[in-house]
Amino acid sequence: MVTWEQKKEIEDFLYREAYLLDDHRFDEWLDLFTDDVEYVIPLREHVQGDVEPAGHPIIKDNKLLLTARVRKHQTGLSHVEIPQSMTGHLITNVLVEDGATPGELEVLSSFLVRQARKLRDEAWWVGRRRDVLRRVDGGYRIARREVLLDATVLPRGISIFF
Amino acid sequence: MVSVSELRDIVNWQDGLISPAVHFDEELYRQEQERVFGRAWLVVGHEDMVRKPGDYVTNYMGEVPVILVRDMAGQIHVLVNRCAHRGNQVCLFDRGNARNFGCSYHGWAYDLDGKLLGAPMENLLYRNELDKEHWGLEEVPRFANFKGLIFASFDAGVPSLEDWLGEDGCWWLQTMVLVDHLGGLEALPGWHRYRSPGNWKLVAENFIGDDYHVITSHAGYFKVVRDFEEKETPIRLINTNLRAQAYEGSAGYKHGCPMGMGLVVLDDSVYQNDLQQAERLGKQAVDWVRERHHRHQEALKDRDIDPYSFMNGCIFPNMGLMGFYSPLDGRHWLLFHPRGVEEHEVWQWTMVERDAPQIVKEAAAEYVYQGQHMAGMIAPDDVENFERMVETMRPPRNWRRPFNYRMQLGHEEEGPRGLPGNLGPNPSEVNQRQFYRFWRELMEAS
Repeated sequence: MVTWEQKKEIEDFLYREAYLLDDHRFDEWLDLFTDDVEYVIPLREHVQGDVEPAGHPIIKDNKLLLTARVRKHQTGLSHVEIPQSMTGHLITNVLVEDGATPGELEVLSSFLVRQARKLRDEAWWVGRRRDVLRRVDGGYRIARREVLLDATVLPRGISIFF
Repeated sequence: MVSVSELRDIVNWQDGLISPAVHFDEELYRQEQERVFGRAWLVVGHEDMVRKPGDYVTNYMGEVPVILVRDMAGQIHVLVNRCAHRGNQVCLFDRGNARNFGCSYHGWAYDLDGKLLGAPMENLLYRNELDKEHWGLEEVPRFANFKGLIFASFDAGVPSLEDWLGEDGCWWLQTMVLVDHLGGLEALPGWHRYRSPGNWKLVAENFIGDDYHVITSHAGYFKVVRDFEEKETPIRLINTNLRAQAYEGSAGYKHGCPMGMGLVVLDDSVYQNDLQQAERLGKQAVDWVRERHHRHQEALKDRDIDPYSFMNGCIFPNMGLMGFYSPLDGRHWLLFHPRGVEEHEVWQWTMVERDAPQIVKEAAAEYVYQGQHMAGMIAPDDVENFERMVETMRPPRNWRRPFNYRMQLGHEEEGPRGLPGNLGPNPSEVNQRQFYRFWRELMEAS
């Protein structure tokens, strides 16, 4: 049974994560993930009737690949983030439930992210996340994240994090 | 507003001087919907997308929504997704399996081959005079299945696809792109789609011949790959550290429909690298890479040269081909759909080699979303450049000075002989010049 204190702790964790992202503190953001993290963004489609599932997701990263994405932006040569996007991650609708494994919690949240680039270019990203948070060293780490983006045609290429 | 009659002066592909108006002028955009997308053979999908009767995918030909569907008799059709009565869309899903298509406005219902099945109260309201043969969904008049790749054309008078692509284009498509002699390619389900700034031709010309941008546009990606290699961290990233002997391939060179093949690899450096990479996937993968290479060499043994693979390509007008050098990497096939003069959409799907072991297929798909993909570490940098170009090029005063497409001008044919079409130095802008030659021909034809 998830306690009120736990729920407050998890909400606080998610809000702090959003601040790290919006502050471009990506190394600290990476530290929020376990070394065995699986980070998945499935393909969203409108399908009818009996069809095969999508052949592969939009992203399925491990910690190294997530790190590579962050490192690319830190090269100073990643044009898609020069100048860096301004982002506002708004996190809401947080639900915390016991996870399948002891010491893990299943955390659902919704997000609205506005990405502002250069002068007037922007994208709005809305979706939900399904996280598995694991108790590590007295705090929490994200052991699995699934991001459901509410778009079948993405508003632009992905260069920010959810 | 630029009129089509001015193209002779402002699209001087022979000298590599082409007006930015081709990318930014509204009137030219309007004209090319009819004259380019209304005349060319366009790729609409792959037969794997409609394996069973009733299977369909929706797509676009230019700005026109279409349905690629297999009817109950097994026949594949390309139908315009437009109710004959008031023009409502009759199919709203990305893909699916259906018995028929029904309109949500007044309820007209169509068979999978487009034939009108019936309309509500038709006997009463149309007095038994509704001509069902005439009022079906419009079928796109020309259809061709090229080794599984489905093409269609709105122009009933267009030459056959084989004539359109030419002998050289057919050879490159069949052999190097679709690897028909090696068992062919298998499509993985699902469109990966994103909105992208800039005219559709900015990305099409990039795919057909621009290997010049790679070292600058994708410098961040290369640096990351190098850094991880130096740290010897085992990471699945597309190998970019190859010193291959590579050329620029052109089909339809100087005549007909251009098809560009960028970085055609002639030596065995990529093969050797693939063997190494395959070791990480196990013996099955190594055996497959070796056996595949043997079959490939056998099939090309009558040629003076036998290219192993290619990096990028494009079939005019809007079919992008990412080969990424290696059969261990998934092929990214991309359609660049026009969405107004300064925007396009990329509709992408993934192909893997049908005869590859499952472990190779899975690894191949993983490479796709690291690379030339909306979530990859390559494509978004291209998109960023197009967005910046749109900002600069909106004012027509900035169209007065032509763009420079003069790279390797006069040196196009300085490459090895022995393959259909032309091989020349890479990087080059030969295929961009060929692209605009043919684009102008279509635009000027009355």
